[in-house]
Amino acid sequence: MENIKPEKITYVSDDLTRLLRDAGYLELCACIQCGTCTGSCPSGRRTASRTRSLMKKVQLGLKEEILSDKELWFCSTCYTCLERCPRGVPVTDVIISLRNLAVKEGYMQEPHIALCKMFYNTGHGVPINEEKWKKLREYHKLNELPPTTHQYPEAEKEIQTLLKSTEFDKLTGVGDYEKKKGEEES
Amino acid sequence: MVTKVKNLAELNGREPPKIGVYICWCGVNIGGVVDVPKLCDYARTLPYVVLASEYKFMCSDIGQGMIMEDIKDGKINRVVVASCSPRMHEETFRRACEEGGLNKFLFEQANIREHCTWVTMNDVPGATEIAKDHIRMAVAKVSELKPLEVTTVKVEPSTLVVGAGIAGINAALDLANSGYKVYLVDKSPTVGGHMAQLDKTFPTMDCSSCITTPKMSEIARNPNIELMTYSEVVSLDGYVGNFQVKIVKYPHYIDQDTCTGCGHCVDTCPVVCGNEFDLGMKPRKAIYLSFPQAVPGQYTIDMNHCIRCGICKEVCPTKSVRYNDKPEYVDIKVGTIILATGYDPYDARRMKQYGFGRIKNVINALQMERLLSSYGPTGGKVRRPSDQKEPKKLVWVQCVGSREFTGKGRKYCSRVCCMYATKQARSYKEKHPDAQIFIFYIDLRAFGKGYEEFYNDTAKNYGIKFIRGRVAELLEAENGNVIVRAEDTTLQRPLELEVDMVVLSVGLEPREDIDDIARIFNVTATKTEDGFLMEAHPKLRPVDTLTEGIFVAGNVVGPKDIPDTVAQAKAAASSASTLMARGEVEIVPYYSIVLSHKCAGCKSCISLCPFNAITFNEIENVAEINDILCKGCGTCVAGCPSKAIIQNHFGDAQILPMIETAIPKKPEKEEVEVE
Amino acid sequence: MASNDSKFALFLGCVIPNRYPFIERATRAVFEKFKIELVDMKGASCCPAPGVFRGFDIETWLVVGARNITIAEELGLDIALMCNGCYGSLLEVNHTLKEDKEKRRKVNEHLAKIGREFKGTIEIRHVVDIMYHDIGPEKIRNRTKYGRKTPLNLNLAVHYGCHLTKPAKLRPWDMECENPTFFDELVEISGCKSLNYKDKFMCCGAGGGVRGAFKELSLDYTREKLENMTAAKADVIITGCPFCHLQFDLGQVEVNNIFKDKISAPFNIPVLYFTQLIGLAIGMTPEEMGLIKSPELKGVPPFTPMKPVLTKIGDSA
Ligand SMILES: Cc1cc2nc3c(=O)[nH]c(=O)nc-3n(C[C@H](O)[C@H](O)[C@H](O)COP(=O)(O)OP(=O)(O)OC[C@H]3O[C@@H](n4cnc5c(N)ncnc54)[C@H](O)[C@@H]3O)c2cc1C
Ligand code: SF4
Ligand code: SF4
Ligand code: SF4
Ligand code: SF4
Repeated sequence: MENIKPEKITYVSDDLTRLLRDAGYLELCACIQCGTCTGSCPSGRRTASRTRSLMKKVQLGLKEEILSDKELWFCSTCYTCLERCPRGVPVTDVIISLRNLAVKEGYMQEPHIALCKMFYNTGHGVPINEEKWKKLREYHKLNELPPTTHQYPEAEKEIQTLLKSTEFDKLTGVGDYEKKKGEEES
Repeated sequence: MVTKVKNLAELNGREPPKIGVYICWCGVNIGGVVDVPKLCDYARTLPYVVLASEYKFMCSDIGQGMIMEDIKDGKINRVVVASCSPRMHEETFRRACEEGGLNKFLFEQANIREHCTWVTMNDVPGATEIAKDHIRMAVAKVSELKPLEVTTVKVEPSTLVVGAGIAGINAALDLANSGYKVYLVDKSPTVGGHMAQLDKTFPTMDCSSCITTPKMSEIARNPNIELMTYSEVVSLDGYVGNFQVKIVKYPHYIDQDTCTGCGHCVDTCPVVCGNEFDLGMKPRKAIYLSFPQAVPGQYTIDMNHCIRCGICKEVCPTKSVRYNDKPEYVDIKVGTIILATGYDPYDARRMKQYGFGRIKNVINALQMERLLSSYGPTGGKVRRPSDQKEPKKLVWVQCVGSREFTGKGRKYCSRVCCMYATKQARSYKEKHPDAQIFIFYIDLRAFGKGYEEFYNDTAKNYGIKFIRGRVAELLEAENGNVIVRAEDTTLQRPLELEVDMVVLSVGLEPREDIDDIARIFNVTATKTEDGFLMEAHPKLRPVDTLTEGIFVAGNVVGPKDIPDTVAQAKAAASSASTLMARGEVEIVPYYSIVLSHKCAGCKSCISLCPFNAITFNEIENVAEINDILCKGCGTCVAGCPSKAIIQNHFGDAQILPMIETAIPKKPEKEEVEVE
Repeated sequence: MASNDSKFALFLGCVIPNRYPFIERATRAVFEKFKIELVDMKGASCCPAPGVFRGFDIETWLVVGARNITIAEELGLDIALMCNGCYGSLLEVNHTLKEDKEKRRKVNEHLAKIGREFKGTIEIRHVVDIMYHDIGPEKIRNRTKYGRKTPLNLNLAVHYGCHLTKPAKLRPWDMECENPTFFDELVEISGCKSLNYKDKFMCCGAGGGVRGAFKELSLDYTREKLENMTAAKADVIITGCPFCHLQFDLGQVEVNNIFKDKISAPFNIPVLYFTQLIGLAIGMTPEEMGLIKSPELKGVPPFTPMKPVLTKIGDSA
């Protein structure tokens, strides 16, 4: 039975192209599948991620397949493909928009959720979360805390207000939603 | 020639207008969008309209017949056809009017296709309103048109052909063999153009020089052809049938009449520089002949490199060296002109990821032609630039600078590179059966006669590997090898190959100086988006320009292979000879006229005219317009402070009624409000 | 441009202040020598990171980025920043909001809740750009003349970092992103040689959230780069971005660890942020440039030992 693996495409939709077209990615519809993007991709050289195929899947609207695939997160956003595409497809930007859609559908990598928590709680994606970092700063003749949200609690509050305002907290399950999630589970 | 205002009263312009409006369905193009019968009803309500008819295709015999009959029956004395663009069919309908017995300038075309149904396809009521506007304006204009008389001018039976590539050569020979005088001008010291640089030609694989050089010498021998190499056109005056051309002949510094081409001078010249013909890959002396079979076969000194040591002067047996040669200017008069200045290969340095100019063993395809050529820099033995080693693994990169929409290259497909890459790869394999060859392509375009067969044959019998995927980048390895990165899109796998040498299949671009050419020959307005010169009509007038009497042939209009180039050259020659055989041409009488009683003699108009059509009559103290030189642009009309210039056909009398009827009058109430 | 070109608002981001503070230390010291004042941006946050947060929600990324920009707008100063990621974010956010009225309106609706407004009055500059275009190679070269006594003589493997040059459209390098040379030019003023090595312009692997979620994948990029740098005999890696810096510094230790079986020998190439190198070249001490590791602190950078460099340049500086 393992030999039988139907991969035939039976449903094609314009959803994705439409979504991306609205965001200004008309060029994507003119992709000629030349492969420059895959050929340029440092990620594709070591993984199964295929930029060109991804662009084709977008054209065909294979939404579930794209958004649920963790390969969508293999791109290191080096922009090489975007610079070289002969049709001016903003490939990397398309990938970023697809990631937005994936997050909306609830597909997120665990470590990324952790990052969002730190961002919400401290205003920094990489915060000072251990004593040694303060010491290191002092060793280099700097104040133990930088003049960022770390030094200004009111600035930290501003960030939280904004993340609530854009519903980033709800989207990524941080802040109030972190607790709620926990409650639901329990 | 200065025409006085003619008495045209008898030319059926006196009677009050009786306008016939004919509305064309253009199949479904117009009829499928707007309600044509309703438009007819509407047209009948317009002033002076006596009848309105419709037909599926007004341009057909039947359609034209309708117009002719109504004229002959005396029903109408002015005609409006609402159909396509006048660029398409104005001539057709004018001829119908003429054949019906009406002065053909009493016709007006309303463009309700390009300007209406094609662009407003999805809005039927809107389109109908727009169509009404167009028809109303055309009716307003036609009521005010005056009959005009066409002028005819004599056509000199001689042609200037600019550019002596394979296009220019063929056009020149056809015309010369039909008995016309031909001046053939090329800015390089030899004729032949790019074709002379090629090794073999697809799809027949015949040797390029074997088929070019006989033509080149035929040019030199033909008594009707005056060949001017190392020359350029500096200015153009006059008009169809009577062009005055100024040509500069650059000094060769060698007397071209006495030089026998013996070549003694070359051996002794101490200065070595790169030969343009071999794209810098072979050295030449400061005194040189581009290549052995060059036509003409006389030598030239490159003064940018010559150090004036005097040695060549000493050794020349015929004493032909003239260090103090000066440029020479020649004035000629011709009836027609053919532009055949060809193309430039795309400058691959702009595609940075391919490292052309940076990575030594990355060359362009024209360089490859020279390397393959038996009279090329290496005598036909292909060697890679970094260490002169014979390459064993080669890659051709397709679409370099073509099909590129980002500004780094050109949007169009260059049409020849798929085939020339296949050809070059095959040539190489013929000589080196053990070599491994890859052609990386997006689409393999083999559209011409015998091309797909050529590709099939090459793939089958020569074992060349065609890989579908545009090359992403080229990297230089330590040993001079080139690393090629791409995706094999059919296998969906990235691919990295280390090869000895890479050939970039560069596209064909407009000449670097195309803007100068366009300006000198007054075809500026006829440049297309891609940068090449534009044909008067892409389908129906492929070798004409919008400037009458000037034709185009070959790659100056767009990239093409040799068969298409030659076909176009022959078409251009035929078009030019049609004009010359008739001996005279009609000039559209849209010229402007100075009303001498109003002209204050201020001369303002003279400097305004972009076509130098206005002169000043010192005796009568008035400006005069040459009706043949005048293109009817109207600049002087607007510029004359005494309002002494009127223009035929597009004057205030015709345009103002159109504007008035186009803009609905404001209700008076509103006007009050505004105040 | 908002400000006089000898004064900038210094945007720190996250990695520099919270992990690699010596980058700030060295940069401040060098800029001071060239009489460029760097003013603190009080209460700034994460830029927010283009790879991760932009990937999660573009709107949030725009809003928080805009908030950071408003801090500099209040100061009336252009932003100088030291990180390619922050560059990517703030440059794009600033441009988008200056151009797109609708997006700007939306963003300002959010910002209104914290009493801020994006006005679009300043520019975003990378310190490499400021060094290259404002201070200029000439001025730096002049300073090196009465700087060090012994030449530095190092072979440098410059790592540009993707977002310094790409997308090329908004950046100040004449659309050159395939084979740029400005960074090499800048660091060669130090008297060192900038090497050509295979895949010089390739990504370090850290960006796009890859390091966060798929560390091994991200380190495989780094491994390849380190191999190519080693093949070219690099003495030191030069970066212009703290995240690339981290990927080569900490990442090098990690690569040596997880790819033990894949690599022929452990890598040991010290990593310098470019201002550290310039500082040395104009006569500042390794200490001032933050090259000397604290003897007490454990688990802090530099993770890849500096010793080979310090030995090579000698102490006579
Ligand atoms: C690498 C390569 C291989 C090719 N192989 C083939 C092949 O195998 N088969 C095939 O069918 N086609 C091939 N082609 C295409 C072929 O080269 C062209 O179709 C053909 O040469 C075009 O001829 P032309 O006369 O239009 O232009 P050109 O050959 O460019 O000739 C133009 C002439 O005009 C002159 N000129 C330019 N500007 C001026 C000026 N201002 N004043 C006066 N003179 C001027 C030039 O000196 C030149 O002599 C190849 C093209 C390339 C690049
Ligand atoms: S490079 Fe551009 S055109 Fe080519 S396959 Fe990728 S997205 Fe499509
Ligand atoms: S931007 Fe992403 S998809 Fe494009 S080449 Fe870089 S890693 Fe690959
Ligand atoms: S002919 Fe072939 S190589 Fe040339 S532009 Fe067209 S598709 Fe590309
Ligand atoms: S209408 Fe134009 S071309 Fe004719 S004379 Fe006046 S300015 Fe010259």
